[in-house]
Amino acid sequence: MSSAREVERTSALPPIVRDDFARHVRSADRRLRLRRLLRGGAGVLVILIIWQLMSVWLDLELLLPPPLTVLRDLVVTLAVSDSHWLYGPNIYVHLWHSFLRAMAGFGSAAIIAIPLGLVLGRVVTIREFVMPSIKGVYPIPGIAWIPLAILWFGLGNAAVIFVVFATTFFPMLFSTEAGARQISPTIIDAGRCFGARGLSLFFRIVLPATVPYIITGLRISLGGAWRMIVAGEMLASQDGIGYFLMESRFQFKAADLMTAMILVAIVGYATEKLIVDTIEKRTLEKWEVQPS
Amino acid sequence: MLKPNIVTAIYWIAVKTGAFERNGLDVVENPFPSGQTAAGIEQLMRGGIDFYLGASGEVAHANSRYIEAGKPPPIALIEGGVAGGSFFVLRDDLKGKTVDDLRGQPLRIGISNPSSYHLILLRAFLRDRGMTTDDLKWRFLTIGGPEMLPAIVSRQLDGFLHDALTTTLAIRAKVGFEFMSSDRGDMGERAKQLPGTGVCANRAFLHAHPEMAKRFTQSLRDASAAYSAAPRAEMVAIMSEWSRQDPAVIEDMYDRLDPRVGMTRQAAQTWWDILGAAMLARGEISPKLTVDDVFDLHYIGQDT
Repeated sequence: MSSAREVERTSALPPIVRDDFARHVRSADRRLRLRRLLRGGAGVLVILIIWQLMSVWLDLELLLPPPLTVLRDLVVTLAVSDSHWLYGPNIYVHLWHSFLRAMAGFGSAAIIAIPLGLVLGRVVTIREFVMPSIKGVYPIPGIAWIPLAILWFGLGNAAVIFVVFATTFFPMLFSTEAGARQISPTIIDAGRCFGARGLSLFFRIVLPATVPYIITGLRISLGGAWRMIVAGEMLASQDGIGYFLMESRFQFKAADLMTAMILVAIVGYATEKLIVDTIEKRTLEKWEVQPS
Repeated sequence: MLKPNIVTAIYWIAVKTGAFERNGLDVVENPFPSGQTAAGIEQLMRGGIDFYLGASGEVAHANSRYIEAGKPPPIALIEGGVAGGSFFVLRDDLKGKTVDDLRGQPLRIGISNPSSYHLILLRAFLRDRGMTTDDLKWRFLTIGGPEMLPAIVSRQLDGFLHDALTTTLAIRAKVGFEFMSSDRGDMGERAKQLPGTGVCANRAFLHAHPEMAKRFTQSLRDASAAYSAAPRAEMVAIMSEWSRQDPAVIEDMYDRLDPRVGMTRQAAQTWWDILGAAMLARGEISPKLTVDDVFDLHYIGQDT
């Protein structure tokens, strides 16, 4: 369904009819959002109830702490009020260090993968030379790079950043390459007819047409970055959310372990909203491209 | 058990000397890699294995969580090694320094896991001197035992806390020296006889199969007796096979490691006084946890 703003902007109907229709669309939008919210909330509630019942009925409170225990643990952790904090710096320092490492790996992958993907998508000769090598390396899972990363970069930030890079690079590259490759020759020809050449053709036709694919690649990669940051920090770091997670395992504190997992989910979601949604909004609005 | 890991060599000595067979046991191995001490305890808690050789501190951690929840502790340490076997190795160029000299220096020290027995012992040593690991300003980095030597060679680590084998390898490679040794008394006189290796079991299993527990611990004691009686070369060969190391390395290590078991009530109390106190001071275990919640020496005839 069209959005109310779109109706108001594009409709050729008389103003009175158009306003009525826009109101109707707005009301339908609200109902749709409310329905989604209620259904989503109900789904979460059902999961929480099943979780609580399993934990209590099956006497699994120490292996599967009930949601209320985890929530209490989460609050105590975020309030930095745990008198027996065993995990070095406070949780915000762990999250900040993980965030920096994730962004360093993700950002450096984006800087290389997106331009390279555009080139590979548009220049057949280079694609034929390069793609077989890239496809050969692609199946290696990110976690398999960890021992080599430790060997090359030592125990510390660089090794973790490298494995994040190795994990996030490929989805961005392949999405961008696919996006750049699928552009219809008709659109390119139309651009040329309007005088677009070289960089102007790239910035006015190729890049805008590829943006939805780049956004998809960024979204998939960012999720991968958070998955890999946890694995990397578990093996090659002394702080960060992965370290917190591993240490809580060795202390047999399942509630802390689940708190760490929830924090990864929250920060991962927030990062996606903050970074990918902002890029999506800015680029799609600027170039008036339909999201893929 | 932890495998390949020299601290569990007594198991292989029991296999090779036929101790399990003589006690009517058919043992199936379930190995966990070095550093994965928590994995064995998790398996014990789930009932996936019957006995576990390797951990000791983790038993206190796991049982403490149950005590905090008002539940009975699920795991028991039923037998243990006769010597600490804990070593602190530093890079050769740090020779001559003391802990006080190195305090505040940005050293990177390798540990096999965050709840490493060796780290707990160091914390206990520091606690007796009114210090904590935080006061040292060193970074303790988790790294598998086999990776410690390459890490110190490539200067990624300045030292490590680990067992006799890793220590011997570092000394043989001329990259590190024995800065501290529990067996030498560097970590306190009482730490010399600290049971480093633990044999643990699920208490529910122990109650259901007490005879099995007695036969299992007896097998390890028989293996310990065999170790004492056998020619050195024979034991070197067995430990070499178990640890997948060259016999020359094991020969060099031999005097640093006593793989025998022989837990006593007094040793359990020493363990509790040193390691238990260090864990309690750091808040790792509940103040309600007692030595009896960790040890059950009933099966070796040493009631706690």
